[in-house]
Formats: sequence, structure tokens, C-alpha cells
Amino acid sequence: MMKNINLLRFFAVMVASVLHDTPAVEVKEDSIRSIAVFPEEITLVGVGSVHRISVTGGMEGGFEADVTQSAEIMSENPEVAAVENDGVVKAVSIGTSKISISKDGVFANVFVRVEPAPEKMQLSFVNDVLPILSKAGCNAGKCHAKPDGQNGFKLSVFAYDPKSDYREIVKDARGRRVFPALPEESLILRKATLAIPHEGGERFARGSKPYQRLVEWISGGLPYSDEGDSSLEGIELFPVERRFRKGSSQQLLVRARYSDGTIRDVTELAEFSSNDKETASVDETGRVSVGSLIGETAVIARFMGLVDVSRVIVPPDRILPESLFAALPAHSFVDRLAYEWFRKLGLYPSEICTDSEFLRRASLDLIGVLPTPEEARSFLEDRSGEKRRRLVERLLDHPAYADYWAGKWADLIRPNPDRVGVKSVYVLDQWLRESFRQNKPYDAMIREVVTAQGSTHRVGPTVVFRDRRTPEDVSTLMSQVFLGVRMECARCHHHPNEKWSQDDFYQFAAFFGEVKRKGTGVSPPISGDFEVIYHGSGGQVKHPVSSEIMKPKPLDGPFPSIPDGSDPRGNLADWMCQPENPYFARALVNRIWGEFFGRGFVDPVDDFRASNPAVHEPLLSALAEDFVNHRYDLKHLMRTILESRIYQLSSLPNEYNLSDTRNFSRSYRRRLPAEVLLDAVGAVTQTESRFQGLAAGATARETWNYKISSEFMDAFGRPNSSSDCPCERDLKPSVVQALHMMNSDSLQDRIADSNGRVRALVESSRGTNEIIGELYLATFSRYPTPEESSLASRVYASPDSSRQTATEDVLWALLNTAEFVFNH
Amino acid sequence: MNELTRNCAGMPRRDFLQLGIGATFGLGLVDILRLRAKASETLAGTANRKLVNCILIWMDGGPSHYETFDPKPDAPKEIRGELDPIKTSVPGIHFCETVPKLAGVADKLAIVRSICHRDPNHGGGNHYMMTGAPTPVPVNCGAFVTFHPSFGSVVSFEREVGNGVPAYMSLPRMSRSGGPNFLGAQHAPFVIDGNPDQKKFRVRDVVLPDSISEGRAATRQELRRSLDRMLRLNEAVAADPVVSFDKYYGQGIDLVTSPEAQAAFDIHRESESVREQYGRNDFGQRLLLCRRLVEVGVSFVTCYYGGWDHHTNIFKSLKEKHLPKFDQGIAALITDLDQRGLLDSTLVIALGEFGRTPKINKDVGRDHWPHAMSVLMSGAGIPGGQVIGATDSKGYYASENIYSPEDFACSLYKKMGIDPHQVLHKNTGRPVQLVNGGKPIKELFA
Repeated sequence: MMKNINLLRFFAVMVASVLHDTPAVEVKEDSIRSIAVFPEEITLVGVGSVHRISVTGGMEGGFEADVTQSAEIMSENPEVAAVENDGVVKAVSIGTSKISISKDGVFANVFVRVEPAPEKMQLSFVNDVLPILSKAGCNAGKCHAKPDGQNGFKLSVFAYDPKSDYREIVKDARGRRVFPALPEESLILRKATLAIPHEGGERFARGSKPYQRLVEWISGGLPYSDEGDSSLEGIELFPVERRFRKGSSQQLLVRARYSDGTIRDVTELAEFSSNDKETASVDETGRVSVGSLIGETAVIARFMGLVDVSRVIVPPDRILPESLFAALPAHSFVDRLAYEWFRKLGLYPSEICTDSEFLRRASLDLIGVLPTPEEARSFLEDRSGEKRRRLVERLLDHPAYADYWAGKWADLIRPNPDRVGVKSVYVLDQWLRESFRQNKPYDAMIREVVTAQGSTHRVGPTVVFRDRRTPEDVSTLMSQVFLGVRMECARCHHHPNEKWSQDDFYQFAAFFGEVKRKGTGVSPPISGDFEVIYHGSGGQVKHPVSSEIMKPKPLDGPFPSIPDGSDPRGNLADWMCQPENPYFARALVNRIWGEFFGRGFVDPVDDFRASNPAVHEPLLSALAEDFVNHRYDLKHLMRTILESRIYQLSSLPNEYNLSDTRNFSRSYRRRLPAEVLLDAVGAVTQTESRFQGLAAGATARETWNYKISSEFMDAFGRPNSSSDCPCERDLKPSVVQALHMMNSDSLQDRIADSNGRVRALVESSRGTNEIIGELYLATFSRYPTPEESSLASRVYASPDSSRQTATEDVLWALLNTAEFVFNH
Repeated sequence: MNELTRNCAGMPRRDFLQLGIGATFGLGLVDILRLRAKASETLAGTANRKLVNCILIWMDGGPSHYETFDPKPDAPKEIRGELDPIKTSVPGIHFCETVPKLAGVADKLAIVRSICHRDPNHGGGNHYMMTGAPTPVPVNCGAFVTFHPSFGSVVSFEREVGNGVPAYMSLPRMSRSGGPNFLGAQHAPFVIDGNPDQKKFRVRDVVLPDSISEGRAATRQELRRSLDRMLRLNEAVAADPVVSFDKYYGQGIDLVTSPEAQAAFDIHRESESVREQYGRNDFGQRLLLCRRLVEVGVSFVTCYYGGWDHHTNIFKSLKEKHLPKFDQGIAALITDLDQRGLLDSTLVIALGEFGRTPKINKDVGRDHWPHAMSVLMSGAGIPGGQVIGATDSKGYYASENIYSPEDFACSLYKKMGIDPHQVLHKNTGRPVQLVNGGKPIKELFA
């Protein structure tokens, strides 16, 4: 607890200096100023059908609250439409009614019309039964949708294959599962209600609403779907976005729209989840409970393969005056848009970072190299106003730039050398390095990958096709890496959290249907010889359920016209590189942003979907547009980001943004990646690493595959060389890392190396304080404070120490601090 | 901006330490050692309540079932080979003459003769038997692949005991498919290379470098403590990764400064007679080190032992080179664990990726054969003195109580208190069942 008190004391000093004389306004006692009702009109089809209404109270500061339960809700004509608990309106007879709502002296109305049900309206398997089975969890991956089903009863995951599910329920098991003569004796009802033992427990109670509907469907003759049955077109979730007070709650409302124009309240059948349960959790009925943290998140509703999100914003209780944000200096549109976002969330950004922090952070982020003491000194002494800008330019021109960024991309597309051969991997690696060296426009670079042709021993990007040997395997990689869309799930079933269907997946895969391979193929471990990747007509991609031959079609795009004999991949590249492509530039901008800030606007960076909305959406869009307008120039994008003030914020929080871990109102500390840290150790100790197969003096950022052994890099997490693909990187601290930094022989040897920095300093004529100053500049890019200097110099005074051992000990201590191991 | 607070230079040192690295978190190794000592006092002999650790001996290359635990004396000469069966301490059970010491402790062993699969390649076989999951694509012999987390990585993932000792270790190298896959690098094995039979052997990183005395190490730690001044954001809502950095440093320091822990890693403290029992060779001493490691709470140790791919000259090589070490070392390990009351809480397994072909080839070798293999299991409450399943009279195929690698994986996880059918999530969010199907081998759970 002491820790917190101290931190708060620290804030008190800091915030007072930040906010000067404009203290935050405390929001007063909540009082409802207005109410709004959703929806304003309801049409109920058939007596007995229901629709929920939601009453929203508007309060001071733009907060809104769900007041449905405390409002007075009355039907003027209860013989037509009755109001049940919690704002549920039920159709009683044909006619119209007005529902009047009042709360604290403010009023609103809803108009209800009850229409007769069509002559032969009956429940259908697709529209009525499958949603019930989904909500009950029957077709979850760990229950009856397991590959072999459960106890002989198999459903498709999330109902992606309704026909097969229908067959399974109606026709299999000799019809025992449903029993129209005595519906309540049906196995699916007896199991689900635990009338007989069921491993999955009780899914719904006898007599409950889902139970009654299933009984009705079974006794109605088990219709699959009606001729001219309406089909589901979309769902909408209410509210779209809302500012909540801490600890408040909200009942969500999910409405489904059908092709015949009807709208149904499907809240009861929808499934809900929260992206961040601490900020706001949601229960199975769709009631959101807001926690006690400041932040924002999304709550997701899913219904029959469709998703929609409701955005939850929880600003601080105190409202910061607008003038405070207006007074923040903005370097460019980046800052202006970021501040607008902060204002909405009530986040006040941290101070700008120090010169030392900027120098170290920018160098590590742009080239993965620590500044030398000389660079640090000259940057710190530089009194000109433009020095940060000039540093960014210098770093963008640094030779390490290409190696650093090629390494990042290698993590994404470089295959396991045991699979495709060492030479292929090397050729791809060289192509990546060369592309970044030339600052190839990003669209041109990716076009080379998508349309790659030629020998895997000459044309780097062809190696991607050597590794990924089917249209499906290519598609999952390309869509995830270049478009930020994870399609893997849609390969086997409708994506559980997204709109992507198997149709979408296989139409996308069809672009790669005509890729041909000639040569030795893959013969691990060496795949010694090359393979040629080329286009040749013929080669079909079929839908795995319908066996229909799929025509190439981009995600959410139109069918392109592909001339006979031409490579469809060209059309795909054309679509990707169109300025208006909704994915391509945004995915890249998000990825680069993620590299600089430790997380993306959308996070994980390659997981764009409606159910995972971006923070700073306007900024993401603006950066993507700016990137496209600058001809996909990566260095331009990086410059734009690094020169912004938001990139240059301190990692120390203030009272308003301590809990902000994803809106970038402060800089987030990030552990240095394995290669960067190893090179940093080399730079600080002035010693070389040795890598098998690489020339003396090679740096870790030049290692071109993960088979090159390194205890250090393994401890600090590089992708596992044996993985397929070797692309997952772990930046978490661990005890193995601590042990290695403290105790490894190799680190001790490097500190004490007779050609290293320590020895050179010891043999120089510098005084103790100068030596300490030099070590600080080398590790932290800053001068020590007088107190630090005096603490460090004490070890030199000890009778047990020599100048050599004392210098080793100080450097050892600095290398084992958080200030060294983290980018901050 | 106030320079004082900005640099935190003006903060009293005491406050700084409370904010910063002064605190250690959770149970330290020393606590664990103490708890263990207590536990063995009160729980000695009462098996089931203890946490089970595992020593897995990986016989890379695929050991012959004929020349180890499944001799076929009645098969034709071209199948039965040159070696004879011997009696064991359990009437009716015979091993090959190459493992006399193991025959002597057969009452503590369960030999499963009926685990089999269909992947005759080293790459694929390794993966199947090290993870419980077959490879989704054919994987050739030379390949090192991982598509699924290995047993050790899963155990590390499940047992976040946080006592400062890496939960999963591998000696003297990682086995091919022994990696963490999607569980992340922090669940990769901590590799202890080197030969513990040598005088200069030390376990890397967990003990001080030779040139650094304890006094100097203390000086260094004190320096580090005073110079690490980055402000910590200890509030959980700030999600400061430096907080876990501190936690792990705290654990690491405990490990290095605890005499008990340091003793545990020092194989040279073992008596000469014990060292002799295990065999004065690399493998024997590694097994001895394995025992010391599980004693300090390492949850899963893989002892990699390669060279079992006997396509040529199988009899001489096995009888003279490999099996004497193997026989002596494992028999000593099991006896030693038993005498120390540790066998009930230690699962010992020895296996390779597959068995070997019935017909002896022209080079007096046997080739790859996944249709039959023998797996040695002991400890962790496994009823000893039994052979589980059988192969046919000539040793071609598992023929009785046939078990799959999935069944084997389920058994291993169940012994370690891990639900084999739990669902894990890949970093793509995709759910993956830890073991796809399979049931624990019932004979191992009496």
C-alpha cells in the first residue's frame, strides 16, 4: 500500500504542474436531463411475439445511463401490446398502441403495431432452431462440434453447415433425436433438459422458451425452411457507442433484419462477449456491467454468423476542461487527431519525453541499435530546435535500418529452412534486406510477393510459395500478413467472430489456384535444389462443403474480370494496391504503429474485424490515407509517426492516464527484442558476438535464420526455428532471462574482455566519474545524476576492488537494470 | 516540469526501494525448499497428494523393442536376433539380456509393449511421441518441426509455481519437438548442456560465473539495487512489464543466494558411491542431475540420449555401447528415487519415437518400425511389475490392449494433474485441444 501512496504523492506534484490553474471539474450528482427510447417504433408480427425497448437517460458531461428499469413504462392500449418486466413489449392482439415512458419528469413515446402472422407461419430449422442450438452451446467446438462429434451426435461448428446439421438431427440415429408424434419424447429435448443423463448438463429447462419453440418445431413437422422463407440479412446492436459512469450497467438489444423487411428482437438468442472483461463484462442475457476502471472496450453480439459491436467508453469521473486539450502543442495531424480521442476518453497525455529518452527510443525503434556515447553526448549538447527531426532523418538513412526492418518482416514470411531449404531462405532474406535498403514502395514490394514467379534460388519472394503449397495455405498467410484479416477459421467453418464465410475464404484462395511448381519440391531437411514457381492455367479451388468451383474474388470486393490465360494473382495485387482498398494500407500502418508503440490501434496487429475495433480510428484512417498519398513510402510513414508528439510522450503516467494501456496517452515500456538486446550488449561492452556461419563482427540483426544457435537469443525469445512458420515472438520477461543476464559466463566474459569497453576505460586516463559517465551514456544515453555518480563510485573506493573490477561491476549493474533492458 | 520528480532523483532512497526493485514476489525457491522438506516429513509415503514431477528419457533414433523389453525368443532367427531373454524380478516377465539391472527392478516398472502409430520418420515420430499430436503434414526424417506444444512446455505453462527455477529443463539439448510452439518462448526448455561427469561441470546461469566470488556478487547486487532507478508502476491497472521483470530478478537472486539451491545444482556434492551407482559416464550423471533437479522442484526434465537409430550393427552397438549405460543409469535412478521416498512423486519415462523392424537387414541392423515399441514407465503411483499390452508372437504389431500416442499423452498429463482434454488457444485465437481424443492407459492407474 505504501507504494501506491508514494506514487500518488508523485502524481500530486506532477499533475499540479501539468494542469497549472485549470483543475478538473468534478461531475456533480447525476440527474437525468433528457431521455431517449430505442426503438421509436416497433412492429410485432403475430400475437405472442415480443420486442424489448431500451430507455436512455442523458446526464451532464455527455454520460448516458440505461434507465429502462427505473422508468415508468405504460401501454395506452394493453389489450394490444402489454409491457412486461424490463421494457419487454408483448403482442396481445392485432392493432396499435402507444407506449409512454417517463423518468424524472421527462417523457418519450414508442409506437407499436401488431400485425397478424402470415397464414402458414411455421418455425423453420434454419431461422428458428439453429439459433437456439447455438445459444445453448450445442455446436461449440468442445461439444457436439468436435471433429468426431460427441457421443455419436455431431453438429457443424457454429452452424456453418445447416444441411448436415438438419440431417444429423432429423434423419440420423433412426429418427430418435426428434419424435414428431410425441415431441416431448425427442432425444434432443430429453438430453438438453437432463431428463436423461447428458454429459453437457442442462442446456435449458423443460417448459422454457427455447424448449417450447423446439416442441413447436418438432410437432410442426420439422420443416427445414419454407419456400420463400425470409433470410437473415443483418444484425444491429444497441447502443452503438456509449459513455458510461463507472459501476453502471446496460441491457443490450440485438435486432435481426430479414429479407422480407421484418425486424426481430433476437437478444435472447444472441451470444455476447466482451473484449476486456475488467472494463466491462457482459452476461449471457446481454447485460453489460461496467467496472471501476477508466477505459474503453467493445462488447460483441453474435447471432447466426453475424456480429456487431457496442462500444463502451468509461471516462474518468472528473471532466477535464476542453481548454486543456486545446493548449497541448500539436506537431501535425497525428497529434491533433490523437488529442481529440484523448478528450473524448478523458485521458490527459503524459509530458513529452526527455532528449535522452527520445534518442534512445528512436534509435531502438528505427534501427534497433543503441546510440554510442559519442552520439548521445552530441545529441544532448545540441541546442538547436530541430534536433529530434534531424535525428529521425539520420536514423532513416542508417545502414542498420534495412537489417532491422527486414528482420521484422522475416518474422512474418520467412519459412523454416528445414522445410524449404537453406538457400531458399537465404535468398528470401536477401530480398527482404534489399527491399528495405532501397526503400521500395510498400505496394510494389508486396506486389512482388503476391505475384512471385521464378526460381526459389533467385527470386526471393517465390520462396513463400515453396513453403505454402496449396491455395488455402497461401491465402491464410497473405490475408493475415498483408490485409490484417485472419481467415484461418473460415477455412473450415464460418468465422466465429466475424462475417467471413467459407465462400469468402475459398473465393480468395481461388486467386492462387493457378500457381504451379516445378522442380524438386520440398524434401526436408535440405531441399537442396531449387523449385520454379510459375503461372499455368488450370487448377481449381473448390468449396469443401458444396464442391462448387470458386471464382476468384477479393474480400468484400467485386468479382474481377480476369482475361483467359492471365495470372489471377495480378488482379489480386491490383485490388490490394488500389488507393481505396479498405485493408491494405490500414493493415500496414497498424503494424508499423505497433512496432513503435508496443501495440497497434487494432491489436493483435493482424486481427482486423468488426468485433475488434480500432482505438484512434480517425488517426488510423488518416495515417493510412497519408501513406497512400505518399506512394506507400515506408520511411515517410515512420517519419510522420516519430515526429509526432504522441510518439514522444514520456512513459511516466499522470493521474489521468495511469490505467491507459492501449490509447497511447503515455509511452508503454517494451522489453528489447532478443536481437536488439544482444546487439546492445555488444555495443555497450564493445565486444563482438559470434554466430556460426556468419563472418566475425556480424550482429544479431544480421542472423538470417533461427537455426543459428544462441543461448542469449533463445532466452530472450525469438521465434522457434522449428515452428511452421517460425513467426511467433515472445517479449515477456522471464526468470531464464534474469539468470542469463546476471550469471552467464558469456556476459561476464564480454564485460571483462581485454579488448572491450571496460578495459579501454580502465586503461585510459579518465577519472572515476568520467568512467561512470561514459558507462551511463553507453547504456542509458544519459548522464548520471550526481547522486548516481556518487553511489557508483563507492565501489571504486572499496579495498576489495580494483579499477578493473569496479568498472566491471558498475557495468554489470547497469546491464541488469530495467532502464537498460526496456525501451521506455 | 519539476526536475526533481521528473528524474526521481530527489526521492528518498527508502521510498524508491519500495517503489522499485526492493520487493520480491510470491514464493521464493527457498520457501519451496522449506515446504518440500516439511511435505516429505508429513506426507512421506502418501503418494497421491504430492505434485508429480517428470523425468523423461528421450531415446532419439528409436530403440529396438526386441533388444530391450520385448524379446521374441520363439521367432525365427532372422527376427529374434542374436541376443537372449533373461528373467526379471517378476515371475513370467522377461527382458532382453542387455538390461539385467532393469530386470532386477522390474517390480517397480511398467513396460507398455503396445503403443504404436503410423509415422516411420524421425521427424514425425519425434513430434508424435513428444507432443501427443501427429504432424499435420508428412515430415521427413531430418526435419525438426513443431506444430504443437511439447509435454514439458505444457507442464511449464500449467505450473506457474514461480519458485525461480525454470519448470522445464532439457539435458544436454532440446529434443527435436521439445519446444513450446504457441505457448511462447517462456515455456521453452532451459537447456543444460555440458557433461556432468566432468570435473568442471556447472549448471549454466543458475550459479555464479567462476570468476565472481560471493562477496563480489553481493557488491554487484547492492550496486544494481541502488542504480536501478526507473520508476515502477506497481498498480496492476498500469500493466507495467517492469513489475514482472522485478519479480523474475527477485526469484533469480533468491536462487543464486540460497545455499540450499546452490547445493542442489552442484552434482559434485553427491557421494562418490551414489555417482558410481548411476555410472561414471555422461548419461548416468545426467540422470543423477535430473534427480537433483526434480528434488528442487523442476517439474519436467527431459534427458536426451541420442544414437538409437541402428540401421547397422545393432547387436554389438546396443549390447556394448548403449544399453549398459542405459540399464545402469535408469535402474540406479529408480532405486535412488525409491529409497529417498521420491518415486511416488516422480514419473519416470523412457521412450523413443518408434520401435524397429522385425527382420534384420543386410547390414545387421533394424530399420524404422512404428507399429510396435516398448515404453518404460515407473513411479507416480504406477503399479510396478507389469507388462501392459503385447505384440504378436514375432513382434510385428501391437496386438493386445493397443494404445495410441494420444493415450500415452493422456496418461502422462493425468499423472501430472493436467486435464488432457482442455482447450488451449493459439495466438490466432483458434482453440486447440491439448490432446485430441485418447484415454489414459488404465493399467497405469490402479
